[in-house]
Amino acid sequence: MRKVAIVGIGITPFKARYLDKTYFELAYDATKLALGDANKNGAEINHNNLESTVYGIYNELFERQFMPDIFINSYIGMNNKPGTRIASGGATGGYTVRMAYAEVASGLSDLCLCLGVEKCNDCYDEQTGVTTPEVLNAIAYSCDMTYEYPMGVMAASSYVSMVNAHYEEFGNPTEEQMAYVSVKNHGNAMLNPKAQSPMKVSVENVLNSRIICFPFKLLDCCLYSEASAALILASDDKVKELGVENPIWITGVGAANTDCFIGNREDMGRLYSNIYAAKAAYKMAGLDYNNIKKQIDLAELHDAFSGQEVISYEELGFVPFGEGGPWIEKTFEKSGEGPWLEGELPCCPSGGLIGCGHAVGATGIMSTGEAALQLRGEAGKHQVTIEKGRAISHSIGGPGAAYAAIIVMANEEGLKKP
Amino acid sequence: MSEEFQDHQIRDVIKINYKYTMGGQSKFFIELKNNKRLLGTKCTKCGKTWMPPRINCSDCYEPADWVELQQTGTIEVSTIVWYTTSAFIKAIPYGVGYIKLDGAETALLQGIFSENLVPSKIKKGKRVKVVFNKRRYGKMTDFFFVPDEEYDKWIAKPEYEGGL
Ligand SMILES: [Zn+2]
Repeated sequence: MRKVAIVGIGITPFKARYLDKTYFELAYDATKLALGDANKNGAEINHNNLESTVYGIYNELFERQFMPDIFINSYIGMNNKPGTRIASGGATGGYTVRMAYAEVASGLSDLCLCLGVEKCNDCYDEQTGVTTPEVLNAIAYSCDMTYEYPMGVMAASSYVSMVNAHYEEFGNPTEEQMAYVSVKNHGNAMLNPKAQSPMKVSVENVLNSRIICFPFKLLDCCLYSEASAALILASDDKVKELGVENPIWITGVGAANTDCFIGNREDMGRLYSNIYAAKAAYKMAGLDYNNIKKQIDLAELHDAFSGQEVISYEELGFVPFGEGGPWIEKTFEKSGEGPWLEGELPCCPSGGLIGCGHAVGATGIMSTGEAALQLRGEAGKHQVTIEKGRAISHSIGGPGAAYAAIIVMANEEGLKKP
Repeated sequence: MSEEFQDHQIRDVIKINYKYTMGGQSKFFIELKNNKRLLGTKCTKCGKTWMPPRINCSDCYEPADWVELQQTGTIEVSTIVWYTTSAFIKAIPYGVGYIKLDGAETALLQGIFSENLVPSKIKKGKRVKVVFNKRRYGKMTDFFFVPDEEYDKWIAKPEYEGGL
């Protein structure tokens, strides 16, 4: 396989609602931003130079359009070139990066556009007069329609099952430990101008916010967003040909789908998809699952729910099983008032999903782009210290968080370091 | 400019009608409706008992036979839902959980009803019993679980329809 680098990054602001843009207009904006970024980094390219697109779009019901990719393809001027759509629940973004990587690594394309978009808040619930219950219903159709949808299952009740099972086994994460994640990610988002939910909240604010699904409270949950994110991926040769100044190399892509029926799993307190995806990604990148915390500078995690970020620490190899809760407690308290950009391993310096919002198909591409910006030293106010030159992004989603994808990245320095 | 868009918002709905079968799993739904029996399947090779049932074992690619399961089980994990989808918002709060029926090796997602719905009532390890609705349609909403100690009260009710 050929070496593949991120040479352009474009992320639109994550917002509750864009009244003034459609999903294909948002996708256009992110593509234009990514092309502008590539040009800023020395690559003189425009959309005509892009050879193919891999689209990350989760839910047709959000877009009010089945096969939305073909309409984006038209609007962004990519007619008569290959375009492939990926839809893997909340992990759509990470999976899209993986397939765009494959497009270039395989030699099919030298310059590929990896483009995610979602516009969920056109869904509208007439009975309550707000969007969210209808957005949640559009998502619930991704659950098993025969056995699980009729039980009133939804994203939070699905994720909370794993978190509650983990709590039963290990005594954590406690409600306070989950609240720390919320405080951290809302707080970090205050430094990210693209974030939807920048907020200074206290542990008490989180604990006192309205109950959603025991024990998740409102501030433990990410909000659904509208946004688009794009990456331009280039082959090794293309990077040289274009004279890209600061390529960020994708060194590992790992993905796994675990059983979508939580009740079929050997242990319900595990997100097995995380474990298999992480091990595959780290192995490909030549990194060590048991020592990963010391080998990377940051992790942009998929914190759809605070408690799920905590158990992901364990599955991604940051701490042994059962020690996620105590770890967030330790790192959280050390950073005092925040922002939480230091410590053993900064997690979600961008604010993650809880801080930025969750524009499903765009999310994993945004977090990969964010991690790449960090490795370039261009993250802005939420820049973390880069010493090892390596970072990961994490995407998870689907019924029972069955899908997961992990992307490992390195800057030029990070490629050389052991 | 945004105000102009705010004023020009259009209502729409996507609706599709279906008439479907559950294929090889149909027996589960037919028995549930007609005979108030809960059938799982047991792999002819490895012996694993599946619930929800599948007529093929996904672990060893061999057929699985129908077996009747007990109408008692244990809660593996649960939650109480206080905010939810538009389709279920009228039902809040409701309890749901993964329940391992006695005799099954996998757990089934179902509604857990209690006259006093608090987390401790429906927590892991609690023993539960199946209550069938009087009117059944061959669907998952034809039954639900209640804590053992509440079973007699629930079945004494004149009409117990699934709240979901
Ligand atoms: Zn078998």
